[in-house]
Amino acid sequence: MNLVLLLSPILIPTVGALVLMMLDAFQKEDGGLAMPTALLHFTAAAMALALWQRGVPADTSALHGFLAIDKTSLFLDATIALGGGIASLLAGGYLAEHKLDRGEYYPLIAFSTAGAMLLVSASDMLMLFLGLETMSLGVYAMTGFRRGSPRSAEASLKYFLLGSFAAALMLFGSALLYAITGHTDYAGIAEVLHAAPAVVANDAAMALQFETRAKISILAMLLIVIAMAFKVGAVPFHMWTPDAYEGAPTSTMAYMSSVVKAAAFGAFARVMLAVYGDAASAGSAAGWPAMLAWVAVATMTVGNLVALTQTSVKRMLAYSSIAHAGYVLLGVIAAPREGTGTTAYASVLFYLLAYTVSNMGAVGALILAGRRGAESVSYDDLAGYARRHPAAGFAMTLFLLSLTGVPPTVGFFAKFYVIRATLDAGYTALALIAVVNSAVSAYYYLGVLVKMYMRDPAPGAAIATPMRSGYVTVAILTAAVFVVWMGVMPERWLDLAREAVSAATAAAPAAATAGGTTAP
Amino acid sequence: MIITLGHYLALSSVLFTIGAAGFLYRRNALVALMSIELMLNAVNLTLVAANRWLPAVQGDAGTVAPPAPAGHVFAFFVIAVAAAEAAVGLAIVLSFYRLRKTVRTDAADMLRG
Repeated sequence: MNLVLLLSPILIPTVGALVLMMLDAFQKEDGGLAMPTALLHFTAAAMALALWQRGVPADTSALHGFLAIDKTSLFLDATIALGGGIASLLAGGYLAEHKLDRGEYYPLIAFSTAGAMLLVSASDMLMLFLGLETMSLGVYAMTGFRRGSPRSAEASLKYFLLGSFAAALMLFGSALLYAITGHTDYAGIAEVLHAAPAVVANDAAMALQFETRAKISILAMLLIVIAMAFKVGAVPFHMWTPDAYEGAPTSTMAYMSSVVKAAAFGAFARVMLAVYGDAASAGSAAGWPAMLAWVAVATMTVGNLVALTQTSVKRMLAYSSIAHAGYVLLGVIAAPREGTGTTAYASVLFYLLAYTVSNMGAVGALILAGRRGAESVSYDDLAGYARRHPAAGFAMTLFLLSLTGVPPTVGFFAKFYVIRATLDAGYTALALIAVVNSAVSAYYYLGVLVKMYMRDPAPGAAIATPMRSGYVTVAILTAAVFVVWMGVMPERWLDLAREAVSAATAAAPAAATAGGTTAP
Repeated sequence: MIITLGHYLALSSVLFTIGAAGFLYRRNALVALMSIELMLNAVNLTLVAANRWLPAVQGDAGTVAPPAPAGHVFAFFVIAVAAAEAAVGLAIVLSFYRLRKTVRTDAADMLRG
């Protein structure tokens, strides 16, 4: 198949970002780029779907093992593009309302989206690094976009420092893997890593002892897991998350908490399964799933408990996004299991799409509730909001119910599928902890609803009135359509996710023979 | 003494650890940036040394070709991206300095809870 066609989901935002930069340079007034950016993203999503329909060729040797363009990456590409499109629409409303509407924001979104797609398609450590950095550099700038605000500057400083630190950890892990295997592509690394000692010795590949190599391999795995835990905001590497989300412009927060998280999880699952998916690393009680299980428990519990104590809805959503990262981790833990692993991996993809639309919608509803100079970010700001503005209040209610996991919204099925996958893989205690956590989370989500429907604003307090913006309305409607649609027919969407994953596992041998970086 | 790949790996691990320790213990944003650069250079050293120690590729007709320079290329990418990262990072530090008149990370305490 034509290489350009194969890469089109990634090329569209890349080339589009360049065009947007030119448009921004030549237009006389700021603003007006939100719609082209959103269309760009939706086109990329449509292209990913078209490729899916047409069928991905089994022979992708033209990519030289650097990228894996399979149904898994197309599913995630579509998720990322959908999230990016909604985020651009939200930015169109939010930035204009708060007098931040400078054109460079939109190319930054498009570049970050391209990076996120590279990240989920990466099947080589070099591409993983490039995707991670392309995505992150744009998001760092978008976080500090409110230039006059010390809080925005502080948020981007914290995010940048910890993000770069995490990238350095990941790089050192990749470099060590290269040193012991001579490969940078996942398939090649896995092949050498899990070969029997005799084979390696005869190969005379390395000037290192086999025992030393095994130790270095574990060290590299730890470094990569820690780096990815930083990126997805898992406890204990979550410290930057609430600060970065709170200080960032709200439209950036929407992008960071949905798209960046989905991309990081997609890459995380792929690299762990491809490089460390063997029985020894992923099966035993001492393997990485057991280690991640503790991380998942800590992530869910800390995220939910701290979210309970928040007075700012924006910060509450930040902690809730940490808690949701914990739920997604459950699926990642169950994914390497023989037999039930495919459904578990599919539940991860389903969760990422479900969380992207639910969270985008919730943040969008929060943006809608704030006017210039009066951003509604605290629970008190929203008192009586839904009674005064039923439609806007209902939108917020729908998305918060989805985040809580109330049927028939998509959030319920997302949680249901990951918890079922956890049970199928035999982690009963873990599933139980997830259910308890989910119940705890209802308290703080419903707290917002109680404020909106049953409380009156304190005398003299600012009264929240929704801003008027076609962009934000369209964004919320798009997210709402997906929340309801996926909630009404979840099995069909899960089947799609399952198809995405099973195609990937079937294509794995082809990727292995496609040739690594050491091929002459 | 014969210098082996193990020596290079030991050196780069030490460099990486110094960088990580500097990042975690120093409270100056610029020093933190320098520490990250040190960590990235440790990565580059590992990559280039590992590439040097790769075995030669045995061809079909008994020909011997040098190994693919994947590690060298990777190192160039790291250098390029590190430059981009430094550009964004310095801009962020500068905008923080403009608003707060300091580059100390413990002054970044407005967001908490």
